[in-house]
Amino acid sequence: MKCHNRIDLRPSRRAVLSGAATAGAALLAAPFIARAQAAEIPIGVLLPFTGSQGAYGPDMRKAAEITTKLINDAGGILGGRSFKLFFEDDESSPTAGLAATKKLLEIHKCQAVIGIWGSPIAMAIKNVLIQANTCMMVSGAANAITDGDTKGLVWRYQAKATDWGPGMAKAMLSRGWKRVSILAQQNPFVIPMIEPAKKVFEAAGGQVVDSVVYNPDQPSYRAEVQRIFGASNPPEAVMCLGLLTDFVSIVREVVRNGYKSKVMALSIAADAEGKFIQAVGPDVAEGIEHFQPSPPLGSPTYARFQKLMGADENALFLFAGNTHDQVCTLALAMEKTKSTDSPVFTKAIREVCNPPGEVVGDVVEALKKVRAGSKIAFAGAGSDCDFDERGDQLNRHFGHFRIEKGKQVLVQVIKGPEGTL
Amino acid sequence: MTAYLVTILILVCIAIILGLALNLQWGLCGMVNFGMAGFFALGAYAAALVALSGAGTLAGIVVAALICAATCGATALVSLRLSDEYLAILTLGFGEVIRLVTLSESWLTGGSLGLPGIPRPLWGWVSEQNYELLFLALLVVVVLALFLVLEVLIRSPFGRAVRAVREDDTVASTLGKNVTMLRVKAFAVGGAIIGIAGAFHAYYLTYVDPSQFSAIITAYTFMAVIAGGRGSNKGLLFGAATIMCLIEGSRFLKDIVQVLDATQLASIRLILIGLGLILFLIYRPQGFLLEYRLRSSSLLARSSLNGATRMHDFKQEAS
Repeated sequence: MKCHNRIDLRPSRRAVLSGAATAGAALLAAPFIARAQAAEIPIGVLLPFTGSQGAYGPDMRKAAEITTKLINDAGGILGGRSFKLFFEDDESSPTAGLAATKKLLEIHKCQAVIGIWGSPIAMAIKNVLIQANTCMMVSGAANAITDGDTKGLVWRYQAKATDWGPGMAKAMLSRGWKRVSILAQQNPFVIPMIEPAKKVFEAAGGQVVDSVVYNPDQPSYRAEVQRIFGASNPPEAVMCLGLLTDFVSIVREVVRNGYKSKVMALSIAADAEGKFIQAVGPDVAEGIEHFQPSPPLGSPTYARFQKLMGADENALFLFAGNTHDQVCTLALAMEKTKSTDSPVFTKAIREVCNPPGEVVGDVVEALKKVRAGSKIAFAGAGSDCDFDERGDQLNRHFGHFRIEKGKQVLVQVIKGPEGTL
Repeated sequence: MTAYLVTILILVCIAIILGLALNLQWGLCGMVNFGMAGFFALGAYAAALVALSGAGTLAGIVVAALICAATCGATALVSLRLSDEYLAILTLGFGEVIRLVTLSESWLTGGSLGLPGIPRPLWGWVSEQNYELLFLALLVVVVLALFLVLEVLIRSPFGRAVRAVREDDTVASTLGKNVTMLRVKAFAVGGAIIGIAGAFHAYYLTYVDPSQFSAIITAYTFMAVIAGGRGSNKGLLFGAATIMCLIEGSRFLKDIVQVLDATQLASIRLILIGLGLILFLIYRPQGFLLEYRLRSSSLLARSSLNGATRMHDFKQEAS
């Protein structure tokens, strides 16, 4: 019987080959699927749609699509050529992000890769893009992304991580909180915020009572919350540096135990495009304050962007605006240099973005002015889009908010030279 | 197109090396290793640190293999009396410990920022454009070498004894085999191979950080081994390639399907990968190929040709 079974189980060569052939078919079919029209300019958009960062991708995708439609409908660039976007999911993983980037470069022949939310993913694909002489526009904050020889190809649409800490500390000091604790996630963009923040507190005569760094994806944060919030002499406020999922658990734990210390979080966690209040409800969220490099709130460009996204004037888009700006600056720099070649058009990014020049926020109007030869300073919906020579942001806005009755209320906007306030 | 295929093939090769290691530990010896991702990280970090210190990339591979072999051997020794589920829990915990160490000991591992700028082997031998092809060639050589070594190992007395331990360790020990040492050896050799895979991963990405070594790596490796047919290294080559084709090939889905948007398709893609694997296991639970077995018919045919030496082999097999 046993012997009979074994004979049954042996696969035929045909079965093995057909299995392998089916699996390989998709790969072989690839070049025929992806051949784009010659006139279109292929742009790769690498975003997290799944995995731990999956919540941040969809709005950025929408912004990229809307902005591209705006440009293409107005006649495109370079005398009628239009942008064609290719989206890839980085699965919140550097290895998957790398494979996806290779697909964007090799199959779709993308002239630039934009989006790029997570810092580890940006770090993993940076060398590949630089080697391929392809422009890379990121929303990641880790300082290391723009370090080293980038050939001028790497552009950051987010404030550098080391610039966040001092700003947040100053915002907390402005609320009169001097005895504070820090509860931070072990994460490449969060950790560099801690030391600069501590220095600002100490310089202002404040005190950082305790700080705890926790690991992402923990099943519970009870021990950390008890140590920080439940201390015998609890701090006036706690600086919570984390992402949405861990912050939701932390806040629930704080409320359940009735701890009284105020909470100051990153907007990426306490707003997360509205997902935080959805998760915990307005009662639990009441009174939580948050801070982050923000869009230029109140500016005409941002107001227009909110309308484009189909949102009301209270909507806070932390990353979608960056994607909008990435598409716009690509178009402007390509139009300016009459080239879709990354090493060429990246040289003009500062020229069309930085002052001096007429401040323009509408990309269609900005394109007309560039064609007419006038000097403009593009102001985006995610930031004012001013860059230093390394591709890092200048003149960044930081927003300080409070959650009241389920709504985000702006406490103050701080704009600082060099992002240091 | 070529460079994309080269990337996929490099990832397949690394997956195959990991699969070969698991096939030795679990397929052949029956020791479940749920800490693959952790040991993989250990190898990657060891190689990265050695290479970054300037000792050379070859030294990095050797050190990664040695450290992973020692750690895996020690894990097997610690789990002396543990088998099956208990060993699974222990390795799972051990892998997690390694991940937490890489995350927390930032003086050594750079913490969550990771280690950038890792040197690559044979860098500068060819132009930058052709380098990945050279890297792939190097990896193929390594895969073939490991494959041949393991095929010889499986057919050796050691391989037979290890399989005997897998089938029934009491019987093996009754027949005078040192079950503990066999398990430690098999696990350590598997560990060395995981270390080599880790080293090549670090060299290929030139950047390591803890988020690269999530538990999904362990899951994909088990899938590759199961799809290939547990215990069969030849099957594993198909298994690993199929898994990677499924993962990467499904990226092209959204280039064909225009009805759904990119966000929805990204989620559907992961569901389809899971569905593909479930269907595969339903219709081919034994995997692509079966493991190598010594057959009495072939043995008898050979023994009639060369009776004396073959009888010696046969006795060893029986013991």
